[in-house]
Order: sequence, then C-alpha cells, then structure tokens
Amino acid sequence: MKTMDLVRDVLDKQVVDRDETKMGRVDGLLLEIRPGQPPRIEAIDMGFVVLARRIHPRLEAWLERLRRRFGVSSIRKTARYRVPWSAVKDVNPFCVQLDVAALDTPAFDWERWLRDHVVAHVPGVDS
Amino acid sequence: MNMKKATQLALGIVTAVGGFFDAGNLATSAQAGASFRFQLVWSLLLGTLLVIFLVEMSGRFAAVTRKALPDAIREHFGFTAWLVPFLVLTLVHFLVLASEIGGICFALHLVTGLPPAVWALPVAVLTWLFLWRSTFGTIENSTSLLGLLTLAFVVAAVRHHPPTGELLAGMLPSLPHHDPAKYWFIAVSILGSVIAPYLFYFYSSGAVEDEWDPSYVNVNRGIAFVGMGFGSLIALGAIVVAAVVLAPRGIEVNDYHQAAMMLTDAFPFWGFVLFAAAMAIACLGAGIEVALAMAYTTAQTFGWNWGEDLDPREDARFCMVYTAAILVSSLLILFGIDPLKLTLVTMAINAAVLPFVAIPFLLIMNDRKLLKEHANGWISNSVAAFLLVLALVLAVVSIPLVIMGGS
Repeated sequence: MKTMDLVRDVLDKQVVDRDETKMGRVDGLLLEIRPGQPPRIEAIDMGFVVLARRIHPRLEAWLERLRRRFGVSSIRKTARYRVPWSAVKDVNPFCVQLDVAALDTPAFDWERWLRDHVVAHVPGVDS
Repeated sequence: MNMKKATQLALGIVTAVGGFFDAGNLATSAQAGASFRFQLVWSLLLGTLLVIFLVEMSGRFAAVTRKALPDAIREHFGFTAWLVPFLVLTLVHFLVLASEIGGICFALHLVTGLPPAVWALPVAVLTWLFLWRSTFGTIENSTSLLGLLTLAFVVAAVRHHPPTGELLAGMLPSLPHHDPAKYWFIAVSILGSVIAPYLFYFYSSGAVEDEWDPSYVNVNRGIAFVGMGFGSLIALGAIVVAAVVLAPRGIEVNDYHQAAMMLTDAFPFWGFVLFAAAMAIACLGAGIEVALAMAYTTAQTFGWNWGEDLDPREDARFCMVYTAAILVSSLLILFGIDPLKLTLVTMAINAAVLPFVAIPFLLIMNDRKLLKEHANGWISNSVAAFLLVLALVLAVVSIPLVIMGGS
C-alpha cells in the first residue's frame, strides 16, 4: 500500500496551480470524519486566518475582527481558501499542484489587487 | 568544467565580494583598527571561517534540493516553528537595510556637505528603482563590478607597509590592555557583521534564481571559499588602514567623519572621494541584497510567487515587500538616527540573534532524505557545532556589551 505522511509531506508545502504559478502553501488540512469508516482527506486550507489559528485560536478571531473593521473584505472576500482534495493534481517533493488557475482563485485576491491598484500606477510599468 | 560553470564561478566570486563588504564591515573594521590596531583581526578571521561554511552549506542546499532556505525550513519544521526565526530575521534585515541606506546617505553627505537625513528619500528611491527595473543577472553584474572599488582599502593597506609581526600577532585572540568592554563589543560586532544572516539567506535564493542543480556543488564551494575569503580581505584592509592612519593620531571612530580620513594618506588627492565612493557602492550593493533577502524570505514563507526576473506585475506581493522595506528603513535615517551608531548596534544584534537564524538551517543540512549524499559531513558539522556554541554565547553577551561598550 502506498502511503503519504500528511504532516511531513503535505502540510506547509508550496502550492502551485496548473501552470506552476506559486499560489500559497498548505496552511491547514481538513479530514472528513465518516461514521463507521476511516477519516478521509477533505480539503486543503489556505490563508492568513488558518495560520493565525495554528498559533492561537484567539489570534484567528482577532484577525477576523480586524478584517471586518477595516473593510478588507472588499479586496479579499473570504479569509480562507478551501480547496477540495479532488482538485489536487499531484503531490511531489517540490509542491502540491492544484488543477486550478491561480489568478481566478481567492488565493490571488491580494496579488491581483496590488497589481491593479499599486503596480499598475508605478511610472514605467506598461499596461 | 564547462564555460558556463567557469563564468558562474567568476561571477559568483565577484558577487560574493560585492555583497560581503558593507556598512557593518566598514564601521566595525574602522573602529577596531582605530581603537585596538591589529588586536581584533582574530575576530574577523573567525567570522570569515564560519561564514564560508554557512554560505557553502546554503548554496549546496539550494543546488541539491533546488529549494531556498526559508522555503525548505517552513516546509520541514512547519509554520509555527519557523515563525519566530522568520520574525527575528525580518527585524534584523530591516535594521541592516537601514544601516546600508545610512551608509549611502553618509557617503553623499561627505561629498556634498548636505546632512545625511536629506539624502534618505532620494537614496531609498534610487535603491528601489534599481530593484524594480533590473533582472537578477543585471543586479549581480553591476553591483559586483562596481563593488571592486572597495579594493581601494586593500591597495591602501599594502601601500602603508603594516608591521607584519603585530599583524600576525593579532590573528590570535588576546586580552585587551585597555577598555575591555569596548574591545569585546567590537569583537562581537565584527562577528555580527561578517556572519550576517542576509548573506546566506540571499545566497540560497540567488542559487535557485540562477537555476543551480547538483552539478554546481563544486562551483558553490569555490564561490563560498574564494568569495567570502576575498571579501574578508577587504575588511582586513580596512582594519589595517585604520590601525596605521587613525590609531597613531589617537583618532577613535565615534562618527563616520573620522573614518573618512582613512584613505587620504595612501591616496593624497583622491582619498576622500575614493572613501565616499567605496562606501556608497559597498552599501548600495549590500542594501540591494538585504532588501531582496527580505522579499525572498517573506514570499517563500507564505508561498507567494517570487523571482527578481519576473515582471513586477507577476509577483506584486514580492515587489511590495522590498518596496515597503526600503521605504520604512529609510525613515530611520530621515528621522536623523546616526548611521554609525545604528550600524554598530545592528551588528551586535546580528550576533545576538544568530541561534534563531542558524539552528533550523544547521538542522536541515543534516536531513539525508532531502540532501542524500550531500548532507553535512563531519567537518561541516564540527564547524556547525562550534558555531552553535559560539552563537549561544553571543546571544547572551551581545546586548549587555551594547549597553556597556557601545558608545
């Protein structure tokens, strides 16, 4: 039987999209608990609040409040990006590859916003 | 060895030299030579030996695994374990960057007479523009070739014919005859300036940018040894010049102004301008490397797209990190913090945080699953063990020495 060590080989690994654009890291892993059957990997969790939770649950709640307070939600709709395991194309020593286009996912919300609202306004950057 | 490897070797050495000698080395060397003549040369040699091994390890790691250090360390030890070293690294990088910007500003002050604070924002914009517009290759080539100007310190040192016996005696540690707190403070600052974390964190990402593979292990060894050794020779030149020019006149370096006279004996007409130019170039080259090291580390920690060869539109977050870092650290100079004091204290902090930045790195160098036959052997691990003991001692003594010995 081929096995995979979730913490050593998947958690914290670089995530890339189908064109190998780097789009984040495996910040959390979710298991589905099924009655009478072994648990199954449900999804990959990505985002700052997921990381905050790993440090302390209170930090997660605090970050969520900050987001609402400063209206960051207009840039990034969801604080976490949950990708179903079915979207995972490949797990290799270098990365976890997803069958998505990074630019269309919430993982690229900030990247897209900075590109359109900051980088595009720098003189010398051709649009 | 084929042509491409030979070019990489030559280029790598020059880059290593360009990145090595910076505000920290200049400030600590000038102070050491002016106050204790050749007595602190041992500290420079010890630091050089250790940094050669660290740089060799980080390059070997990148060549074999094709991963840069922050990338691999987070993956290997997990986010929570990496968080504290990451934050510590970011803080010292920020202070080092401010020191380099301060160095450039001071060099411009020497030439123009305008206060360094006036130059803070123009220098920040210049440094940023350089990063924004260039690819990794241009950065390597231009800063490293200009960096050769710092060889002026070596030429000056040779022209002064330093007393060989005293110089050799300084290569062995000895107890100070006066101002022990200051002596140990400078000794620690020299170590902090030579074993600067940005050197090996930048170098490993640079190796990934240059697409090194396991066949580069030997090229890497040559670069680490010759590049760091040569860089350290420039620092040695600065100690010698300060010892021969400043010490006999009783000039202590409490301010960069005093250091500025270092080259005027060897180069009567050009010495002053040469000093300013060498200082500005050395600090610019290192400042660019530090800003990039910050951007690499942050982007890799969070898995963002990164690379100096990408268009800023493709890695906006990566570019925003160095942009913000340069802007914020230039504010320290804008608000009038003395560049020399900032640099000396930063170098002691560099030494103090060494356990945080070196321990995860040295542990991962022993991971045979990642590095296979290229994992650390007994020689590298003996040096690593010695470094760890030294780092722990430095972590305890550095900050008290800043308070007691730092002027």
